Amino acid sequence: MNFNFKHEWIETNIGLMAVLTMLAISVGGLVEIAPLFFIDKTIEKVEGVRPYTPLEQRGRDIYQREGCYLCHSQMIRPFRDEKLRYGHYSLAAESQYDHPFQWGSKRTGPDLARVGGKYSNEWHVQHLVAPRSMVPESVMPNYPWLLATKLDISDVSDRMKALRKVGVPYSLSQAEYDANVKQFGETVAKQLHIPDAQKNLVEQANFGNYDGDRSGISEMDALIAYLQVLGTMVDFSKYSDDAFVGNR
Amino acid sequence: MEWLLWFSKPENTKPLALIIFFVTFMGIVIYVYGSKKRSQKLESYREIPFLDDETGTKDKQ
Amino acid sequence: MAASMSYSGVEQYNFDIVKKFSVMALVWAVIGMFAGVYIASELAWPFLNFDSPYFSFGRFRPVHTTSVIFGFGGSALFATSYYVVQRTCQTRLISDGMASFTFWGWMAVIVLADFSYVLGYTQSREYAEMEWPIDILIEVVWVTYLILFVGTIMRRKQPHIYVANWFYLAFILATALLHTFNNLAMPVDLFSMKSYSLFAGTQDAMTQWWYGHNAVGFFLTAAFLGMMYYFVPKQAGRPIYSYRLSIVHFWALGFMYMWVGAHHLHWTALPDWTSSLAAAFSILLLMPSWGGMINGIMTLSGAWDKLRTDPVMRFMIVALSFYGMSTFEGPMMSLKEVNALSHYTDWTVGHVHSGALGWVAMISFGSLYHMMPKLWDTKIYSNKLVEVHFWLATIGIVLYIVAMWISGITQGLMWRAFDEFGNLQYSFAESVAAMMPFYAMRAIGGMFFLTGAVLMTYNMFMTIRQGKREAAALEAKLAAKLAHA
Repeated sequence: MNFNFKHEWIETNIGLMAVLTMLAISVGGLVEIAPLFFIDKTIEKVEGVRPYTPLEQRGRDIYQREGCYLCHSQMIRPFRDEKLRYGHYSLAAESQYDHPFQWGSKRTGPDLARVGGKYSNEWHVQHLVAPRSMVPESVMPNYPWLLATKLDISDVSDRMKALRKVGVPYSLSQAEYDANVKQFGETVAKQLHIPDAQKNLVEQANFGNYDGDRSGISEMDALIAYLQVLGTMVDFSKYSDDAFVGNR
Repeated sequence: MEWLLWFSKPENTKPLALIIFFVTFMGIVIYVYGSKKRSQKLESYREIPFLDDETGTKDKQ
Repeated sequence: MAASMSYSGVEQYNFDIVKKFSVMALVWAVIGMFAGVYIASELAWPFLNFDSPYFSFGRFRPVHTTSVIFGFGGSALFATSYYVVQRTCQTRLISDGMASFTFWGWMAVIVLADFSYVLGYTQSREYAEMEWPIDILIEVVWVTYLILFVGTIMRRKQPHIYVANWFYLAFILATALLHTFNNLAMPVDLFSMKSYSLFAGTQDAMTQWWYGHNAVGFFLTAAFLGMMYYFVPKQAGRPIYSYRLSIVHFWALGFMYMWVGAHHLHWTALPDWTSSLAAAFSILLLMPSWGGMINGIMTLSGAWDKLRTDPVMRFMIVALSFYGMSTFEGPMMSLKEVNALSHYTDWTVGHVHSGALGWVAMISFGSLYHMMPKLWDTKIYSNKLVEVHFWLATIGIVLYIVAMWISGITQGLMWRAFDEFGNLQYSFAESVAAMMPFYAMRAIGGMFFLTGAVLMTYNMFMTIRQGKREAAALEAKLAAKLAHA
């Protein structure tokens, strides 16, 4: 075989060099990322995880908007100290409807993956408006505008439609609604129905009264509704300690 | 796309990555350092940045 | 133009675009580093958030990262790549119009991005916070850049493509690939800035950190190695130490970097094999990284006295030293055991900055100090100020990194400390309180570095003015001569 390879072909041919460079840099990503979409084990089968209600989703939007993810992670690691401080380690399933993920990369403040239910709504309002009045050592900014700003609910159904397009099971048709009833139960399925989004949002906000002010729905209502649901969807008392080890 | 699953097992991926990487790497190394003539040619390209100067390198080796 | 006359004929090269990007590199350096000092100060003295959404840490941090990475780093790369590709191919950029478009397009990207963050529009993906309309603009600018760069290389007068251009090419290609896949998102509406990522949870995390780490690998490393391969030999007046080493480490670096992103996700819900594989490649990556460092530093072998006499050279060599140091620290932090301690802490922030300030900024400063006087056909206005800048920058970096090492390791240890009854020894708030002095120290380190950048901007402003005056004087002389003749 007359194999007469010359590196000069590459060095002197910009097209070939571009193709080979592209090849070299594509391998790693392909091998590491692509399988994640096909392996059953990437995401555990676990009960209770559901898409966010309209109000929670709007709260999540605000969480993103204010850049909370820059100082708070939502990913508890399987260490003894983290279990004591934050709770059971995070499962992939728990963020399966999170577009985008909010795992974070830095803990200037504590992890929030299971902050839901740990503090009262009143505590959250006070803490978000003036963090140092609750935690003197805190370096968190004050967020007074959350309480003062009315929540924009005009495009909530558009937002849910966009999320539906990327794979979140919000329902538009009766058939989709019925499927959700089967998967999540009727109470949850109602919340996921896009035609009722605004009505559901207003109901949840009025019923929950998260910001302690009944005169209207503020951004604070939405954000706290989101914070209070974080990490509460899975009931870990139903699973044994090593139930999820195989997924790691 | 099922075949991609094969890559998810470290016992497959580790030796595979090692072989691919090592063979390619050795190929490049042998190519680059293998022949004296080629080495000289390659090293001559070091001068390219100085070619469009009025003066060229001050202390050429 | 007078500047390009000194190089074989009028307008052989398009230096106008290089000038524009060089000046903007300095402007963005000052803006971005000011934003950095500001947010660092917010962590030390929270009153600086002023209860205003527009100045709060969460919205302002992307302003810092975008302005320094894409504003300063990006402009420096556009400037130097256009300069290097023209001079090593001995040909002019194929299109002035396209070059000009990349300039105005890129500037629009940074300005729009910064304002959109402050107004609350963000994809909340680190270093890719720009919302979808800006992402599309980036895509268009970037493809133009690719065509312009490759087209110019195709028109070269040199048969061989100089290695610096390989690195620039890899950077342009990789950035296109990363940007495209990491920003796949569904807009809420055609007239809404808001979009939702195409991927969710684990897959989304993996895509983001594949992007995040390779932005470091190709935008902040490969491209700046390209810069190094041209400007270090030029400033030293000696050719690169080993051309063969540069070929080997180019392919090794390009291949291996793309595997390592998942080391940002150790101990998370990402399957274990992914992050372990990434860690293995992270360790291997040390070799090509150090190959580049050795090649750069050894270029100076036999002319070490330049380090004493030439402050510009010193910027470059210190940059390479920091590059070597942070590419050693990185693989170490990618070990799962070390990562268990270092992740989520300030140690990571310190590591990033030893790369970003020590390597990226220092090599850019050195290259700009070399290139800008040449562009305006003059000498540096004040070498004394370059010297002062060098020391301000170096002290700034050291203060910064040391502060973050101490605070990071302290945080990590405090979080996992148990008392004798097996309870957590410290509350989270106590660990925050312990950070206070180090956050202040970090902010001060940043101020040093920023002051240096301001000095440089002044120095280069005066250099340009001097160059313009000299050119005008020369022209007047010529005109006078012609009038006499």
